[in-house]
Amino acid sequence: MLFFLLFSPIAAALLLFALPSLRARYAVAALLFGLLSATALSLFFQPAATALGIAPGIGTLIEAADVVLLFYFLFQGVKHRSVPVLLLALLQLPLYLWAVAVTPAAASPALVVDDLARFMFLIINIVGGAIVLYAVEYMRREKSGEGKQRLFVAYLMLFLSVMNAIVIADAILLFFFLFEMTTLASYLLIAFRGDGVSRRNALRALWMNQVGGVFLLLGALVAAYGPGSATFSGLLQGDGGVLLLALALLAMAAPVKGASLPFDGWLLGAMVAPTPVSAILHSATMVKIAPFLILKLAPGLDGTLPGTLLALFGALVFVAASYLALSRSLLKEILGYSTVALLGLMMSLAAVGTPESMQLAMALMLFHALSKALLFLAAGVLEKDFGLKDVEQMKGLVQRAPRSVSFLLFGFFSLTLPPFGLFMGKLFAIASVASLLPSQPWLVIVVTGIAVGSALLVMLYFKIAAALLATAPDTVPVQREIMPPGFMTPLALLTLLSLAAAGGYMVQQHNSLLWLLALPVLIMALLPLLTRSLQRFDRVMPYRCGEKSEFDGALFYVEPSAAAARSLQWGFGLLFAAVALSGAVT
Amino acid sequence: MSLVMILLAPLLGGLVYGAERVLRARMQRRQGPPLLQPFYDMFKLMDKRTLIIHAPHALLAVAHFLLLWLAVGALFAGWNLLYIVFLHLFALIVLVLAGYSVRSPYSQVGANRELAALAAYEPILVLLAVGFYLVAGSFDVSAILAHGGYLAQMPLLFAALLIILPIKLKKSPFDTVEAHQEIVGGVEVEYSGLFYEFLYMARFLEYLFVYGLVFLFAGASPLWGLLLVLAVFLLVNLVDNATARVRTDQMVKIIYATAFTMATANIIWISL
Repeated sequence: MLFFLLFSPIAAALLLFALPSLRARYAVAALLFGLLSATALSLFFQPAATALGIAPGIGTLIEAADVVLLFYFLFQGVKHRSVPVLLLALLQLPLYLWAVAVTPAAASPALVVDDLARFMFLIINIVGGAIVLYAVEYMRREKSGEGKQRLFVAYLMLFLSVMNAIVIADAILLFFFLFEMTTLASYLLIAFRGDGVSRRNALRALWMNQVGGVFLLLGALVAAYGPGSATFSGLLQGDGGVLLLALALLAMAAPVKGASLPFDGWLLGAMVAPTPVSAILHSATMVKIAPFLILKLAPGLDGTLPGTLLALFGALVFVAASYLALSRSLLKEILGYSTVALLGLMMSLAAVGTPESMQLAMALMLFHALSKALLFLAAGVLEKDFGLKDVEQMKGLVQRAPRSVSFLLFGFFSLTLPPFGLFMGKLFAIASVASLLPSQPWLVIVVTGIAVGSALLVMLYFKIAAALLATAPDTVPVQREIMPPGFMTPLALLTLLSLAAAGGYMVQQHNSLLWLLALPVLIMALLPLLTRSLQRFDRVMPYRCGEKSEFDGALFYVEPSAAAARSLQWGFGLLFAAVALSGAVT
Repeated sequence: MSLVMILLAPLLGGLVYGAERVLRARMQRRQGPPLLQPFYDMFKLMDKRTLIIHAPHALLAVAHFLLLWLAVGALFAGWNLLYIVFLHLFALIVLVLAGYSVRSPYSQVGANRELAALAAYEPILVLLAVGFYLVAGSFDVSAILAHGGYLAQMPLLFAALLIILPIKLKKSPFDTVEAHQEIVGGVEVEYSGLFYEFLYMARFLEYLFVYGLVFLFAGASPLWGLLLVLAVFLLVNLVDNATARVRTDQMVKIIYATAFTMATANIIWISL
């Protein structure tokens, strides 16, 4: 079954080129989605055999592929005259060869399927599969040749394979290779439209992610020289001072992939890409490597200084990114920043490292993936069918586009309201971290971080929800949108999955409080039943102090001054560097 | 007992509101309205013709009232304080949605201000719950009330609550949210008759909610709790009469600079 997860997306991608018709493309994507989800679910509920080695020949092949990949980055750096890409590629090449040379021959298996990996399979295959399904319809509306459209969908499918592989990679250098593959994927997909802006942003994404690769290589080198281990599992079983440095260096790749400040630039830049890219790279699956990596390393980082610093770093990112999101008016940018914020929270909870907080981080990951995928896809529909990107232009859109807006609103509610996991996650996270306060007072930063960040995010989501709902009092009947099934199916699937996941979570928790929490939503859900009885009241126009023309207030924005924004970036940069330093010191 | 209290909550809150109007009049050496004036106002509102903009706008006022009642009820019933705080947040969010849902500049500016105020005081309510948890060992209000007094261990958190009270009670210096002279009532401006009544009663519940939080600080002793509430009641009205309104951005800055810092410092102090 494991091989199916790894290779069926590749087969589907090839099949896509073999079958020319559009209908066949839909069929392939739907089939892939169905099969992958079924496999991931059955693996999750029936854990199968776990560890696998890699034949030496294939290992050499992967090493060769990695060198080719690094040369490709080098070539891109030269071709597009990007100094950072060039320099980082020049740095990575010798580091990689050095790491390969000194890495001890693997005694332990290179691939390990643990519970965390099975959990990640669920997110990657179900959410990722739904996005691929959506991408077929989206690309059909893109102004590009059919070959290019097929290539795009094929990229996305291949990307699922890479993601499935990265979560089971136990050998550090194999993890590095797959990490760089995801970097390559983001580079190719962001540059997909091929214009100047796309290229610039793609190069930025490339070099920022390369920084993460450098940290991984440094971690691999320290691991090889220090504890003499080539795998994550081997590393976590060892101990000693240098070990902590290796773990800290490896963990630092996480904030880079998660686009935490000061690396937030690449994720924002990625918004020029077609929407399915934003969805798959930046909300649903790829950036989830960030909390995943920390969760993987958490047993070793728990209670250490680097672990502590990472927890603080994540909590501060949660607040800062939520705050920065309040200054944006493009829907995709807002969603991007809120992803950065929530990833910060997940990394923070993962780095706190108690079983409870780690479970909360995982719950947040699952619900965030479902909600964000839904939001991004709905934003894509608005962009394609209505040409709307800016929230200020979306005022009262619920009248024109009731379906897309309903999905968007459901997404926002599932990110903020009670029966859904994100709300629970935040609530329980406060309780869980607060219970640790007497033994670890520094966690107060995490508690206040969650409190402030949640308030800011609620403010952000409801600001947008409110704009969508700001309807005119009595307008002429408007043309209602008809959503094509190619968009409708994935969106409806994700909605149902969110509901199912919320229900499953509530049943699984055995906590009576959860059912009480669902009460307010029930009240809200019943209120529309009263709508008819309001017919008897007279309608009026809003009060405008006698002004005849219609005028709106702008939404609520706050923005840091240029100097404050700069010091914010530097502050986070320093904190980021402090993680490695603390690893070296202790 | 608590069930009766929960059912009668809006009436109780109305009495508190009436008492406050009497008190404020005395402070300003006016005759002022009678104690039951809020209820007379309610009957008056019921007689008025109800005009609405559109159905969701009207229904959101009802939702706001119901959710706030639920929050106050949960507080009286002794549930989890953290949950109550989030429920209260939810109720306020509904009000913000209502404010935005009509294309009226005053209503929308009011909703903007409400959101800013929310971002200012919400973290402090959460930290307050965390403080109670650290001292009493539980988030449950019933457990918090079973424990001794809290003032000695949470003086700064109490001060932080005092600072944010004027926002919740719509009093100077933090009454920018509904500022009648600038934005003619903000979120409330488009409501009339029956639906305005829901907002009017929601305000009573808000009174019970915040004074309920003050009451918690006395812990196991109800008498001290009532005295504490009375003292805070006098103080809030004194401050209201003695200060002028600040701008919304100034309000957020002041709250974060003073109340938030104090609350955080107090949490660190308890957990050390």
